[in-house]
Amino acid sequence: MDRDQILQTKDESLAHLRKVYGDEAETVIADARYGFISGLIKDVLRKPVIDRITLSDRIDKVVLNRWLGIPIFLALLYGLFQFTFTLSGPFMGWIDKLFGWLAGFAEGISPSWLSSLIADGIIGGVGSVLVFVPVIFLLYIGLSILEDSGYLARAAFVMDRLMHKIGLHGRSFIPLMLGFGCNVPAIMATRTIENPKDRLVTILVNPLMSCGARLPIYALFAAAFFTTYQGLVVFSLYAIGIALAIIMAWIFRSRLVRGESGHFVMELPPYHLPTIVGVLTHMWERGRVFLIRAGTIIFGVVVFIWLLDYVGVLEPIGRAIAPIFSPAGFGQWQAAVTLVFGILAKEVVVGTFGTLFAVEGEALGEIIATQLSWTPLIAYAFMAMCLIYVPCMATIAIVKRETNSWKWTGFLIGYTLVLGWLVATLIYQIGRVFV
Amino acid sequence: MPLSMVSQGEQVQVVAIRAGWGLQRRLAEMGLNPGVQIRVMNSQRPGPVVIDVRGSRLALGYGIAHKIMVT
Amino acid sequence: MAKKEITIALAGNPNSGKTTVFNNLTGARQHVGNWPGVTVEKKEGSLSYGGYNIKVVDLPGVYSLTAYSLDEVIARNFVVDENPDVVVDIVDASNLERNLYLAVQLLEMGVPLIITLNMMDMAESRRYRIDVNALVREIGVPVVPMVATRNQGTQELLETVVEVAEGNIEIAGLRLQYGREVEEEIAKLEKVISNNSLSQKYPPRWLAVKLLEEDEEIIKKFKEL
Repeated sequence: MDRDQILQTKDESLAHLRKVYGDEAETVIADARYGFISGLIKDVLRKPVIDRITLSDRIDKVVLNRWLGIPIFLALLYGLFQFTFTLSGPFMGWIDKLFGWLAGFAEGISPSWLSSLIADGIIGGVGSVLVFVPVIFLLYIGLSILEDSGYLARAAFVMDRLMHKIGLHGRSFIPLMLGFGCNVPAIMATRTIENPKDRLVTILVNPLMSCGARLPIYALFAAAFFTTYQGLVVFSLYAIGIALAIIMAWIFRSRLVRGESGHFVMELPPYHLPTIVGVLTHMWERGRVFLIRAGTIIFGVVVFIWLLDYVGVLEPIGRAIAPIFSPAGFGQWQAAVTLVFGILAKEVVVGTFGTLFAVEGEALGEIIATQLSWTPLIAYAFMAMCLIYVPCMATIAIVKRETNSWKWTGFLIGYTLVLGWLVATLIYQIGRVFV
Repeated sequence: MPLSMVSQGEQVQVVAIRAGWGLQRRLAEMGLNPGVQIRVMNSQRPGPVVIDVRGSRLALGYGIAHKIMVT
Repeated sequence: MAKKEITIALAGNPNSGKTTVFNNLTGARQHVGNWPGVTVEKKEGSLSYGGYNIKVVDLPGVYSLTAYSLDEVIARNFVVDENPDVVVDIVDASNLERNLYLAVQLLEMGVPLIITLNMMDMAESRRYRIDVNALVREIGVPVVPMVATRNQGTQELLETVVEVAEGNIEIAGLRLQYGREVEEEIAKLEKVISNNSLSQKYPPRWLAVKLLEEDEEIIKKFKEL
């Protein structure tokens, strides 16, 4: 029979069943399935009379507690950063030495442009990023532990009340947390958010969750300018990111992307002890992306920058743009150049500095301090700028793909640029009054 | 009464779900449909609710807990 | 001697341990890509067993097979369009009731199904007793108990996969009855669609049920005829 007849028969059947059952056929069918399953379960499963309160439930009583929930979450987050920075120290030192040795070796190569390319360009550039491999991998280990253990689902639940006040809901939380690793999979993870408005806002706000690629920037400057308080400084930047994400989400939700918020329904899997294999696998899955980017994008960009510098084109470009950043304290051409190229990939910010000053590791931080006359305040403003301004190309590409809209992608680029400049300038100008 | 008013530890039965199609379907596939017995594991009134349904733990936003009618 | 090929699809709820099972089966021989035309991750892997080259496709974790979420549509379309030799449903034994909702829908599709009862250790720690034989009897498909985190049950699963692929085990399938009135309408619809090209490709009864559920994807397929 032809398709219109088929569809008509369907409608007639549905109308009939609606009359008979007083309900949609879909519901009746679902009920039948559950009915069958219930019968099956009775024959097949014996549960103890009272389902035991499991250890997971006991833990949840504390972790999900109204008053303790958020503090516990913040404490865990802080602990994560402390763990990352304390443990990574020695490893970074070794890698630093390795590259220093390689650079020294490269200096002997002739012709001199080649030795400059290798020592300043490649080793200075890529090396300065690779130095942070321990930091990145340790952070990813921590994130994997939180995720595998099942805690992340609880964190989403705990933050739901807060999220609800700004018009999002708990389901937005996990993609936001994933943003701490890399914004690209985080934005892809927003597919689980059914409500398109919630989803859009979560995507727009996601880049404010400081991604792994920015970590080398913080690590570099925090170590050089705030040595004893490194962990705290980095934590504060992440906290600013979270706070801004919340504020911007609220603003977007109430002004731009109005509409009903979706429903929060989530399964809480039982806690389980993360396996070493599992954690390392996840760490590697995320971490290898970082390494691949180092070997390809960063390598390419850094060589390109070296080239621009070598032919003398880089400085003029930088000087042309630099004045924009004077109110924020970092109006030097080198900083301008790194920010421009940082749009390609955030790690490039560090890489570019490394190439320009032909050093990497701890020495780089100090050199920036002296050569550019940066104070800790300026460094902090700069880090804030890096935190907020335009996300990397990969993120921009994925946002375009997921939102299917040039308008919103453009908006993302625009607002982060403006917001970044504003916050950095505010930090510097207000800070100057006190420091 | 709505699920949102049930105290922690209580065991109740779902009578009706006063919500749109999308939500009803979503809840049904997670095991929450009229007739099922559930237990309130954790209640953060006003705020999200954790229930035990068919053996698994489900976290529900406050708005949803308000729409699920139980006895 | 040329190895023969078996393709299996892994289905299951999120949090059912599907990924662990996938890793146990494929080890390092995995490959991540995208499902065609969408940005959902597709994981595939392979292994050799019993003289066969077994390809494993990891379907997105879903609670059900309606048309309302992209993940579900992907899972469903793969099963129907690619016709894997075996579909393995990873069921969380400590959450049996809810997990079976998906299994029942897979059975409605008439696929060669194996149920893997994973997380048996969790069920045991909650002092659940599951009568596996009774389950096999009532549901009509092979059931393999498993503790994927300890890699227990993987061998048995592979053996069962080969048995099913070779046709040595009969899949009884499930003829779930939805109630007299609904069954009458199903019969009506089945007659009406019987000559349709779609019912060559999909089980007619399943199509009828989907129409009554007002399944968007199926209705779209009919409209596109």
